[in-house]
Amino acid sequence: MKNGNGNGSGKLVAGDGRTHIESPLMRESLVDRRVVEKTHTDTELAILPDVILVGIGGQSIFDRGRSAILPLVEELAAAKKKKHRMVLGVGGGTRVRHTISVALDLGLPTGGIAQLVGAMEEANAVFLNALLAKHGTIVMQREHFWELPLYLDSGKVPIIISTPPYHFWEPPPEKGPLPTHGSDFGLFIHGEVLGMERLIFVKDEDGLYDKDPKKHKDAKLIRHTTLEAILENPPEELILDSMLFETWRHARHVKQIQIVNGLVKGQLTRALAGENVGTIIEKASLMKRSAKPVAAKKSAAKKSAAKKTTSKKQARRAA
Amino acid sequence: MKAATTHGARRTIASSLGESSMTGTSGGMDYSPVAMMPDVKVIKIGGQSILDRGRSAVFPILDEIVAAKAKGHKVLVNCGGGTRARHIYSIANDLDMPTGLLAALGGYVPRQNARMVQMLLAKHGGVFMLHDDFEKLPVYFSMGCIPVMTGMPPFGYWEKPSAKGQIPAHRTDAGVFLSAEVLGAKRAIFVKDEDGLYTDDPKKNPKATHIKRISASELLKADLPDLVIERIVIEYLNRAQSCSELQIVNGLKKGQLTRALEGEDVGTIIHKG
Repeated sequence: MKNGNGNGSGKLVAGDGRTHIESPLMRESLVDRRVVEKTHTDTELAILPDVILVGIGGQSIFDRGRSAILPLVEELAAAKKKKHRMVLGVGGGTRVRHTISVALDLGLPTGGIAQLVGAMEEANAVFLNALLAKHGTIVMQREHFWELPLYLDSGKVPIIISTPPYHFWEPPPEKGPLPTHGSDFGLFIHGEVLGMERLIFVKDEDGLYDKDPKKHKDAKLIRHTTLEAILENPPEELILDSMLFETWRHARHVKQIQIVNGLVKGQLTRALAGENVGTIIEKASLMKRSAKPVAAKKSAAKKSAAKKTTSKKQARRAA
Repeated sequence: MKAATTHGARRTIASSLGESSMTGTSGGMDYSPVAMMPDVKVIKIGGQSILDRGRSAVFPILDEIVAAKAKGHKVLVNCGGGTRARHIYSIANDLDMPTGLLAALGGYVPRQNARMVQMLLAKHGGVFMLHDDFEKLPVYFSMGCIPVMTGMPPFGYWEKPSAKGQIPAHRTDAGVFLSAEVLGAKRAIFVKDEDGLYTDDPKKNPKATHIKRISASELLKADLPDLVIERIVIEYLNRAQSCSELQIVNGLKKGQLTRALEGEDVGTIIHKG
């Protein structure tokens, strides 16, 4: 809903028993689909578009201990020296599963379970920070959200808490009592709201397979696919939370998710350098729109796109 | 609790979910939920519909809440946003801000409103609480307090983008429903300025007719362009473990809220099913 004439005057309007502030949404029902649709923008602000988010698996990497974690720590330290602007996050791993199994046995409500689990992800973030601190990392507490640019500009690599703060307010899942907004989703949405275009997930497999490679020897690695293809024909086992893919459907910024094997030395480094390792999943609709490499600056393209959308919107409104 | 110790292997804790990928929807476990505080009455005072009207609308409602507490009801008061939230959303939208920003920014207004209501209820035991204080609810109630909080859920920057539009899908109605759901309360009560649900916005369409009782499925099937309550709450209702009814009452009509707190079917009931 572009004001166009800058009419957010802030004038107070009374007369129907309520006092309104003049704005395009004044007196409107925010539930009205017609009102909500008018607010749509195809040129959403990207807050930190050049930052890459790296998510490190809990069960797949962290629960393996030293032999899996220390080589990754070296790679991350080296990447930091190369001045990659990145944000790190870690999953919670087996302790999350244990927490949930106890909580389910006790009959705790879904929101109660969600209130508990983030502690394990936070503990792993503290582990990772202890290992990387001498290279310049810092755990970003949620209330320090807006210190992210400060950390990045002062050369620090922030480690974020992966579980989103849905807590007691976790929405009821479509099936069963398990909370669906887990750490993969949490990292995704953190990247998306900041306008990041690339996320890398470090797991213990070479990427996404058509079925679980730990259970099926004939599982085939998918080197390159699109979000659209996954949504249309989801593999039996997804290596990332299904909520991540559901949310990505409506996302405006994340163009590419790369899944690499953290147990294979150098894969993460190569992925950070933009190499085609592991599995690359792209959101085809967003790739088409920019038709430029993901890392490239796009301010000029954005401006012309903005003009086009505005005129389209004006045309729609006039009609 | 046995741990595998092979060098380099995943050190898992044996549990019924130990080997599960957790990316699906079911852990395959038996589950019989317990209700945390099923007797709490979770109510929401509308922002635009009530609070923006000021004293004439707000004071009589607070009187009813104080009277209900005196009769022994445990009332958790949640506040909506209203016109200032709309103004924030408008400006943020004009600046092309992402949905998560709108959710975080929109959160300030219901918090202000909750503080206002707390000041008015203070002499009757009104306490302002944050999301982080939720576990202290038993203390508040045993002390005879009326806890007041924002209706907004704590998603903030972590709110999901919607298919169409920038307005966050989870706003204060959603937060109130989710509070009732996790507490194990059967009903969430929404105090607005209409007798409940109509076939269209009665403020704009005089031909709109009142609906007394309707199921979530019927309502979703009717596919109304406008609703009295956030659309996502109706979707969640059918998945709820505990909160199976949403009651919408008219706070401008004296006694409606009191009757709703006594369990009467006034206003509109939207039920699971």
